[in-house]
Amino acid sequence: MRFWQKTLLLMLVLFVVVLDVSVIMIMNKSWRLNMGREQQRAASDQALIANNIYENLNSIKSRGMQINDTILLDVARSYGEYYRERGISLELSSQDTPVYAGPAEPSARYISVTNELPAPYGYLQLTYRRDIEALYAGQDELNRYFVYINCISIPVLAALMYVLIRKLTKPLQSLADSTKNIAEGNYGKRVQLQNRDEFGELARHFNRMADAVEKQVTDLSAMAEEKQRMVDNLAHELRTPLTSLQGFAQYLNAAHIDEEERMTASGYLWSETLRLKNLVFKLLDLSILSHQPVERSRIPVVELFESVRRMEQANLDAAGIELILEADISAVWGDRELLESFLVNCLENSIHASNPGSEIRLAAYEQDAAAVLEVTDYGRGMSAGHLERVFEPFYRVDHARSREHGGAGLGLALCRQIAEAHQAQLSLSSEEQKGTTIKLILQLHNNGLLT
Amino acid sequence: MATILVVEDEKPISDLITMNLKLVGHQFFKAYDGEQMQQILEQEKIDLILLDVMLPVMDGFEWMRRHRHPGVPVIFITAKDSLADRITGFELGADDYIIKPFEILELLARINVVLRRNVKEEEGFTAGDVDVRLAARQIYKSGQLVELTAREFELLEVLIQNRNIALSREKLLELAWGYEFEGDTRTVDVHIRQLRKKLGWEERIKTVYKLGYRLEAER
Repeated sequence: MRFWQKTLLLMLVLFVVVLDVSVIMIMNKSWRLNMGREQQRAASDQALIANNIYENLNSIKSRGMQINDTILLDVARSYGEYYRERGISLELSSQDTPVYAGPAEPSARYISVTNELPAPYGYLQLTYRRDIEALYAGQDELNRYFVYINCISIPVLAALMYVLIRKLTKPLQSLADSTKNIAEGNYGKRVQLQNRDEFGELARHFNRMADAVEKQVTDLSAMAEEKQRMVDNLAHELRTPLTSLQGFAQYLNAAHIDEEERMTASGYLWSETLRLKNLVFKLLDLSILSHQPVERSRIPVVELFESVRRMEQANLDAAGIELILEADISAVWGDRELLESFLVNCLENSIHASNPGSEIRLAAYEQDAAAVLEVTDYGRGMSAGHLERVFEPFYRVDHARSREHGGAGLGLALCRQIAEAHQAQLSLSSEEQKGTTIKLILQLHNNGLLT
Repeated sequence: MATILVVEDEKPISDLITMNLKLVGHQFFKAYDGEQMQQILEQEKIDLILLDVMLPVMDGFEWMRRHRHPGVPVIFITAKDSLADRITGFELGADDYIIKPFEILELLARINVVLRRNVKEEEGFTAGDVDVRLAARQIYKSGQLVELTAREFELLEVLIQNRNIALSREKLLELAWGYEFEGDTRTVDVHIRQLRKKLGWEERIKTVYKLGYRLEAER
């Protein structure tokens, strides 16, 4: 049963019951009042008639006449005749012996009052009977009218209530339709309901929930897409060196070649093996990072920077690039090896992006109560399109150049993992032909232990 | 034999392919992206293109889409091995589709199939005083016609097409006479001996220790 049907039925039954019970009670009360009035009237009429008879008897008596049954009958008859025309029958009896009885009325419903006459006629009783058939008829008429009114008012009421309830529950229907639509997977859909009542509130809450669900779904599918891309890329990254290894091994093994060709082929075997090794170790690092918690310790920034400089000195010299170190804070909290690895990766990217003779800045400072490690270069930079995907594994801004340097395309993916392992924020900004800045923002609670 | 354009951005793979093409006597050009490829196509007469799909700037599929009928047969060489990619490759009009990692012998075999289908001119091979005309199935030694059985000729053809590469007896069996051929590797030895004798190639057809046989020729 639908909600509107239930509401309609319940309201109708309730309304009809309450209304009818009230009406019946009122009618009942009015009946009792009418009856009371009739009774009073009968009593006063009887008293009046009894008094008249008493006066008559007195005047007869004062004329010296003996009051006997004949006189009594005469008097009673004269009153009886007179009142009969008004639907009233009188009866006079003397000590339970009827003296006069008015003509019996066919009706069974009457009001009857019996009383003794005032003294000295106390032995006489006057019975007053009045027909109240008209009262009953009136009541019946009223009852019929009540039923008749009921027959008309209930359908009218039902129709009005139907319209009203349908109007009131309309938002419910539209809410149900919209939510069904969303539940079927159209997460972009929203409930269009501007009511200011509970339905509107429900719609707003529901839309907020739908927002959250939509975001989750989008995030999940983006994540799945990224995973898929990573697997595709990994397959490609593995196939290429494997093809070389297989091919050159076969070439060395089976081909009729001279010394120079042998050197080229074995050189490729060597470099491609290194490339595979590099790839495998980077992948291992990534995998370990995502499974192991980092152990944080206090690392003096100067030491950290110097050790990074030592590791990269050869590359820096080869590329003719000057490294500038700026340590404004004395120490940061983190895993020394991971932070070193982070800086080395960023630095290598910067070296590959820079032109000979330019410089790279390595800085550590405090900003908004957080420790920031920053690597800035003034090299080629990249477009906004690359910025979004550059942290994805195997994503390369410049394929040919990256391979030339033997990169596996995992450097920044590793940096992202390192940042996540430190619960730190990573920020990358870049402008083409101007340079790139990458910041690792270590949260307050890391350096909060510093002071 | 044929002039082949190798379009491949991975230098090791490019070198691997071209070094092997050189072994079996093909001419080749190297291109590392679509632009270089276009330049070479405009300047040189190319018999076949080996085209990598994942290329910088414009990928191989995209290039094919823009040049529906380049007038040159194309073999895709790619790490993309999904059915959808393969179908795309063939739909774009490729003559073949080779997936990395591939075997060199397979690559050479497929190149030969595509070349035979497309190149009309007669293929020849000359070594010393022996002149082999593959299409006509005729062999001359010092101007004299040499009689070879069908089996011997088929074996010779495989050796020539894969010259300078050692082939195992099993491989020779398979390439020359097919999988269905009922015979063991001794059959190969017998036929090799015949070829050596008939062509005077005792030195030219080398027995490679633990591997098999190799036809050595000038490159």
